[in-house]
Amino acid sequence: MSQKNKSIQEKTDELSKLVSWFDSEDFSLELALDKFKQAEDLATEIEKDLSTLKNEINIVKQRFDSEN
Amino acid sequence: MEKSLNPVFSVSDFIAVANQTLEYAFPTVEIEGEVASFKVNQSKFVFFDIKDTGGSIGCFMTVWQMRVPIEDGMKVIISAVPKLTQWGKFSLTIKSIRPSGEGALKKSFELLKAKLDKEGLFAPERKRLLPRLPRHVAVISSTQAAGYVDFIKILNDRWGGIKVDVAHVQVQGSGAPDQIIKAIDYFNQQEQLPEVIVIVRGGGSADDLSTFNDELLVRAIAGSRVPTLLGVGHEIDESLSDMVADVRAATPSNAAQILVPDKQEIIRSVNNQIKALLPRILQIISQQKQIIRDNLMSAVNSVERSLNDQIWKINSLKNTLNQLNPEVILARGYALIRGKTSVGRVIEIETSKYIIGAEVKNVTEK
Repeated sequence: MSQKNKSIQEKTDELSKLVSWFDSEDFSLELALDKFKQAEDLATEIEKDLSTLKNEINIVKQRFDSEN
Repeated sequence: MEKSLNPVFSVSDFIAVANQTLEYAFPTVEIEGEVASFKVNQSKFVFFDIKDTGGSIGCFMTVWQMRVPIEDGMKVIISAVPKLTQWGKFSLTIKSIRPSGEGALKKSFELLKAKLDKEGLFAPERKRLLPRLPRHVAVISSTQAAGYVDFIKILNDRWGGIKVDVAHVQVQGSGAPDQIIKAIDYFNQQEQLPEVIVIVRGGGSADDLSTFNDELLVRAIAGSRVPTLLGVGHEIDESLSDMVADVRAATPSNAAQILVPDKQEIIRSVNNQIKALLPRILQIISQQKQIIRDNLMSAVNSVERSLNDQIWKINSLKNTLNQLNPEVILARGYALIRGKTSVGRVIEIETSKYIIGAEVKNVTEK
């Protein structure tokens, strides 16, 4: 899945995974800078998504009054 | 005999005309009074009298029309059609009935609560969790109600990217429970089910909020395939619908707060996570440096120890060698003799200081 099509939930999950890598046994200084850059880009993208996304509100056409 | 100008009816014609007149004059009549002689026949038909201090009228309805528990002595408001039966008895055919006044509402609430509780409808294990970040939400409310406006405002302030389908329904009055039930059914029958159904309504009188104590509505909420979130009235108002919903919010605004996180908080949290990474990396670099320093120090110590050992060994060998040096032995007072030790032969004696020529005078075995 491309980064663009990911939901905010997926992006925040990915960010949490990246952040927890820094505390994991897999941590290595050689990869740290690259991972840090990825996390920073993801955070910027999440902030942008959250600031621009609008809710789509639709009033359903179906009538619910007794006569229908 | 003078002929009367008044028409002459058959009995059944007169009953039909009387009913037509009643229907024209009172298509539906609302009456408030106290219930008396309440009984249910064959588990289907409900009979009782509605009375006040000045009179009493017989009432008829089916059990399916009874949306709240009714008993003798309860004050109610009925919506009914007046009718003269074929036996000439005047009665009211009830379309709807609701408790009236605080005492009756409370009594009805307690009776229904006990019944539904016995069926396990309020059991905590029935409660489902709401999705953390829903993408498709259904809202049931009156779009003109202040509670709906509050809910949408808070929702838009807190989060974005959600598809919100809104069913506009009456949220008070006798038609409200059926409309809300139809909206619940509508959303439950959609091909793409919403992830949550939110029912919202602002505060109101006990009578206004009694909609949410309707038995069929409570059962519809309990039977919803889609998890339900109810934000009706204020913190202190608790309805049976609140008790049966998967999640209860204190108010419509609180429903929006429960439904979605605050994007500002998420942005802060995301940025804080990133900010916390740099000190973490620096701390790890510092730890690594310390480990390298310690290792280096340990290596230097080890080389120094090994060097000292070697020096000590060399010195020790040197001492041993020194002890074996003939010069040292001569210095201790010994002498080295060269030549044949036979009587009369000249030999050479070497001490630490001199080389002496000497003649052998005698030789004796030791």
